Amino acid sequence: MTAKNGSKHIGVANGGVSRRQFMGTAAGAVAAGSVAGFPNIVQAADPIRTIGLGVSIINEIQGRASKDLGFPVRGQALGYGAMFGKMLNQNDQYEIAEGYYNDMDVFIPSKVWQPIDTKRIKEWDKVTNLSKTGRLTPDSSQGQGDAPFRQLWLDEDGNRVKGPSRYISMLPGWHNADSLGYNPKDTGRKIESWGELFSPDFKGKVALLNVPQIGVMDASLAIEALGLFKFKDKGNMTKPEIDFLIDFLIKKKQEGHFRAFWETFGQSVNLMVSGEVVLESMWSPAVTAIKAEGVPCVYAYLKEGMRGWHGGCAISAKVTGKKLDQCYEYINWWLSGWPGAFVARQGYYMSVPENVKKHLEPEEWDFWYEGKPAAKELPDPFGTIIVEKGEVRDGGSYWNRFANIAVWNSLMDENDYLVKRWTEFLSA
Amino acid sequence: MQDFAQAQHSGLIGGQPVGPSQVAEARKTRREVGFPVGWLVAPATLWLLVFLVLPLISIIVFSFWTSAKGGLVPDLTLQYYAGYFYNEGFFDQEHRNFLTLSVFIRTLGSTFYFTAVVMVLCLIVGYPIAYFLAMQVQSFKWQMALFLVCMVPFWTSYLIRAVAWLPMLGRRGLLNSLLINLDIVDKPVSFLLYSEFGYTMALVQIYVVLCVGPIFFSLSKIDPAILEAARDMGATPFQIFREIIGPLSLPGVAIGMIFIFVILMGEFATAVVVYGGKTSTTGTVILNYYAIANYPFAAVNALMLMLSMMIGVVVILRIVDIRKEL
Repeated sequence: MTAKNGSKHIGVANGGVSRRQFMGTAAGAVAAGSVAGFPNIVQAADPIRTIGLGVSIINEIQGRASKDLGFPVRGQALGYGAMFGKMLNQNDQYEIAEGYYNDMDVFIPSKVWQPIDTKRIKEWDKVTNLSKTGRLTPDSSQGQGDAPFRQLWLDEDGNRVKGPSRYISMLPGWHNADSLGYNPKDTGRKIESWGELFSPDFKGKVALLNVPQIGVMDASLAIEALGLFKFKDKGNMTKPEIDFLIDFLIKKKQEGHFRAFWETFGQSVNLMVSGEVVLESMWSPAVTAIKAEGVPCVYAYLKEGMRGWHGGCAISAKVTGKKLDQCYEYINWWLSGWPGAFVARQGYYMSVPENVKKHLEPEEWDFWYEGKPAAKELPDPFGTIIVEKGEVRDGGSYWNRFANIAVWNSLMDENDYLVKRWTEFLSA
Repeated sequence: MQDFAQAQHSGLIGGQPVGPSQVAEARKTRREVGFPVGWLVAPATLWLLVFLVLPLISIIVFSFWTSAKGGLVPDLTLQYYAGYFYNEGFFDQEHRNFLTLSVFIRTLGSTFYFTAVVMVLCLIVGYPIAYFLAMQVQSFKWQMALFLVCMVPFWTSYLIRAVAWLPMLGRRGLLNSLLINLDIVDKPVSFLLYSEFGYTMALVQIYVVLCVGPIFFSLSKIDPAILEAARDMGATPFQIFREIIGPLSLPGVAIGMIFIFVILMGEFATAVVVYGGKTSTTGTVILNYYAIANYPFAAVNALMLMLSMMIGVVVILRIVDIRKEL
């Protein structure tokens, strides 16, 4: 693997033409000689540093960016809490923050990031309306909670404004609609409603995500689906609403309804592979990971709509001058299509589908974006075959899925109260 | 002054006291080398100052600051302490919280309870192991070899030791297949994993070695001649244990218990792995509030945890006066 990465750099040396590329090549060659690989930690002048989750910070992605841009991009993948803390408290320790719109209620007022000038985003026109107006197609629903379009627009000084403006908080990037994952052999039936999360049929075989902000949303979708309660805004619950929800969860927990609460991606995979759980809140790549273990798993398409989340690239307020130019080059690169194609093979979508299409094989495009049956076996980003011929992605096309987002991941005004009651739920 | 104190304590636990003449001699030697001990202590002192005392002070200071969306603001407040102790509806008879403690105190309480249970179980399991090693195994070579075997779990990482319980206790785990093959149960039992039972068992297995070591060492220090004398004077094995072995091994027990207590009170990872996150410890509370950048409240929880740990250690030391016993 390392040798391959190193040789990638040398490969540029042969074909490189521009000055930038040449400089990057020199750096790469030095790195290949000394550290033998890892393109994103090459020792060279003017690297930029980017931090985020493992969703977007992957050696292959930043390595490819270093190669394409001609300067090293060093990525650091962190856990959620560590990422959040570093982004907020140490904005001199990174240039790019690959963050999430549901945290904007914290990051916009803190001014740790600078407003991004859309005039410097070459393909801004190609970014879909999902993040600009909240409607991917004219008749889509916008969904409750921290949808990107509610957290996007800023004025020149970084203050929030309503509606389109020249400046934005973060360049829209990768996103997905989260749902329930299940083992169809064990459930014995197709799962089509969030309400199934509390079905007595699956008592003791259900897992929930142990992140209070997201866990309560999945639960609230289920409670609404069962017709037990109607939340005014699932993305911003009131104290009495939180109370109702947590009291319900405590009752279910004491009945022994939950097998476990998972915190890391690997745990969610393990729970289903080991047969401990038949139905759980899940992230899309987990499905492919479970299938790779030979256990059947379906990512449900739920009639009430899914829970959306959206990430992107922000620039630290500390960055100026030449580094700032590099930052704009890097975030523009994210729209180029190659990174979008990379994340598509993990089941994520990108804000510029038309560019992504150019970098996917037609069969891949049809499967991942159009929701058609796979015309042939398809690989994940690392080349392992994960999709069998004839397989269909649940939920139809990209446009179909995102027309029906029930709620977006959010930071509620009553977040402290929520975390307190969640603690009570776990202790119960 | 400092040099003198240093010299007096140069004998570690159980070492010989150092006489004044030797101190003077030692001082002379040091003078000759020309390297003041103060300099030798300086790196450790500096290390502790920068990485222990300063962070501790900052935790105390932050616990009085205000968390605003967007980080910490140095506005002094007691609201987070109030939030820790006060429970909405505590005095309100109509409310469901009537006279119940706040969830954070209850969490600290349950953390403490689990710690105490595991400590007792570790003692019950660990003491006989140490006793066997020190009293029953005669050859020193075998003692050391078996003691090293006890330490084998430490060759792997802590997390691996916790994760290893999953294939053991799970629904399709080793234990369940055994129970089914022996026709004891007809379908897999689920109480083994992601339960209080599994959690306690895993904690005992992970931490029991921490008390075997110290107990083993204090048992090995008991002079066999004393035991022989007791036997000659007609003491029963139980009397020997109650009058001699028990009291003399107390320092080891106390040190082992302190090790386990301090680590278990801060425990949060095993709860996630083996209990499936179905409980919260004060450690997970701190982590949760850290993750949402409410640093003052995380700091308050951390201080309360530290306070209760200090109280616990003091109580253990009250029961056993290690200095006197050694």
